[in-house]
Amino acid sequence: MKKVTVQEQGLGEKVVRHATAIGVAMKESVYPLTATVFYPRERKKMPDNLRGYLMFDPDKCISCWECAFVCPANAIQMKAAPNERYYPTVDYGKCIFCHFCVDSCSGGALKTTKIHDVAYKDMDEMLTLTEEMIEEPEIIREDKKSVEYVIDEHDLHLKRVREVDTLFVEVTPPVEIPMVSQCIDRASCIGCRVCEEVCESGAISSSIERGVLRMKIDTDKCTGCGLCVKECSMQILRLVKK
Amino acid sequence: MATAIGESEWEVAVPEKPLKDKVYFENLKAKVIDTNLCSRCLTCAAICPGGITVVENKVDFPDYENQCLDCGACVRVCPRFVYEPKSGLGDYIDFIAGRSKRFAGQDGAMVTELIVSAIEMGMIDRGLFAGRDDKWATEMFHVRDPEQLAITSLGGTKYTFADVLPALKEAVRFTKRGVGVVGTPCIVSGVRKLQQEFPIFREKVKLVVGLFCTENFHYSDISKFLQEKGVDFSKLIKTDITKGKFIATMSDGEKVKFKVKEVEEIVASGCNVCTDFTAVESDASVGSVGSEKGFSTVIVREGNVREIISYIKEKGYADFGDAKPEELDYLINLKKGREKNIKRD
Repeated sequence: MKKVTVQEQGLGEKVVRHATAIGVAMKESVYPLTATVFYPRERKKMPDNLRGYLMFDPDKCISCWECAFVCPANAIQMKAAPNERYYPTVDYGKCIFCHFCVDSCSGGALKTTKIHDVAYKDMDEMLTLTEEMIEEPEIIREDKKSVEYVIDEHDLHLKRVREVDTLFVEVTPPVEIPMVSQCIDRASCIGCRVCEEVCESGAISSSIERGVLRMKIDTDKCTGCGLCVKECSMQILRLVKK
Repeated sequence: MATAIGESEWEVAVPEKPLKDKVYFENLKAKVIDTNLCSRCLTCAAICPGGITVVENKVDFPDYENQCLDCGACVRVCPRFVYEPKSGLGDYIDFIAGRSKRFAGQDGAMVTELIVSAIEMGMIDRGLFAGRDDKWATEMFHVRDPEQLAITSLGGTKYTFADVLPALKEAVRFTKRGVGVVGTPCIVSGVRKLQQEFPIFREKVKLVVGLFCTENFHYSDISKFLQEKGVDFSKLIKTDITKGKFIATMSDGEKVKFKVKEVEEIVASGCNVCTDFTAVESDASVGSVGSEKGFSTVIVREGNVREIISYIKEKGYADFGDAKPEELDYLINLKKGREKNIKRD
């Protein structure tokens, strides 16, 4: 077991540290930066995969609602956007930061940030609209340094770095396995053409000729988003490896 | 690039439309619903990718002009779109009376026994049961374990419609081994129609138990009627029709009795054109008529039910006795007489 001992400080050092703390307290009481005051003026450096507040990229969203369905806290509600699409809104009053939504997002539209401590004035404010999740929010930073716990094979060290940790992470997109939608039980198809209606890439087409409906999936156009598989009322479409 | 698992091109035969320029639901409405042929079996609602539902005791599709996808699935599966009334006792391989030792039900609890034994045998992994809430409205349950039957009152006749087939579609989606389903003759016909049209139902629905049925009632009608008769739903434990009398039994032993003739006014319109008393299309039909008090009559029609019966006999789960087919004649003929109510054009 490792015991943490308080470092011995000289009188001079003690005076300087107290004076700095009083100075910050005075300044904050006159001109407060944030609702809660963080002291010392340093933040722990968070790992890149921290489950923090969410960012949203509407261009990658296919409106599949999977994030809203999977959310165990029911924090995600889909709202109609002007372009006839549905985008998620997050109620951080309910969110438990499990990030199932990020994991379930097939288009990679949801991504994490290192923002994890936000203060709100009331409950209504905690409902974050889609528009507020697209742009990186402006953050008032009081921290001047970052602290990092470094674990080597023998011990745990505290490392102080004189730079501020960036809160937005560049997520490397996962390796895409090319998938394509296929019908696994064509005799059970009822011919409702919902798949054609929901297909975003125009890969599914149909034609009626002399009492026979012909369905076709263009495997070159199909992006493998899985929207048709989800919507098929008979559940006879599957994503298979291309 | 075709794969071995699925196909990227397929064909679907589109059914014919009697009303050419109307969507399929309007065809169904004109031919079945508006002519009072509809039995409210909800086969159409089960298959409809749109919004066929029940509005004021009638099958309806609000806003079908805009929302009907015009796929024709409803007319493909409706047992009464091209109505071939069935009647009589039907083909059978065994005609027996049974009384379950394990379960309590309407009479001999043989429906519950058949389904639970099929689950135990591994023939199916879930059975669909109609349960009821404290207001005696029906709700559907997927029973996967015999223990579930101990906590809910799933046995017993409900005398009101249940949404069996929409639940069946969901069950077919989840099942691994197969589904067992219980229903009135119209529901059995709906299941058969689904199986005839779509292989997924042929593969997954392994056991279809039919019930003897003379008529059925809409929930709103029967609940209003029973309340007028002074029946307290919170105390009601059983409803029964025997020898021309409707008997409602209360938990304190009190019984409210009245003649079946009194409820005739509220019989669902689709039942007036139904000629099938014994569910001739089922794998096995079960009812109280034809056997002694406390026993259920079981008409075994298919091999799968014979297997289940021999399993029950082997395990000693039920007592068996003789049943008299001739006792069913009166009700079979009564229902056959309804053939005259069917208007042909």
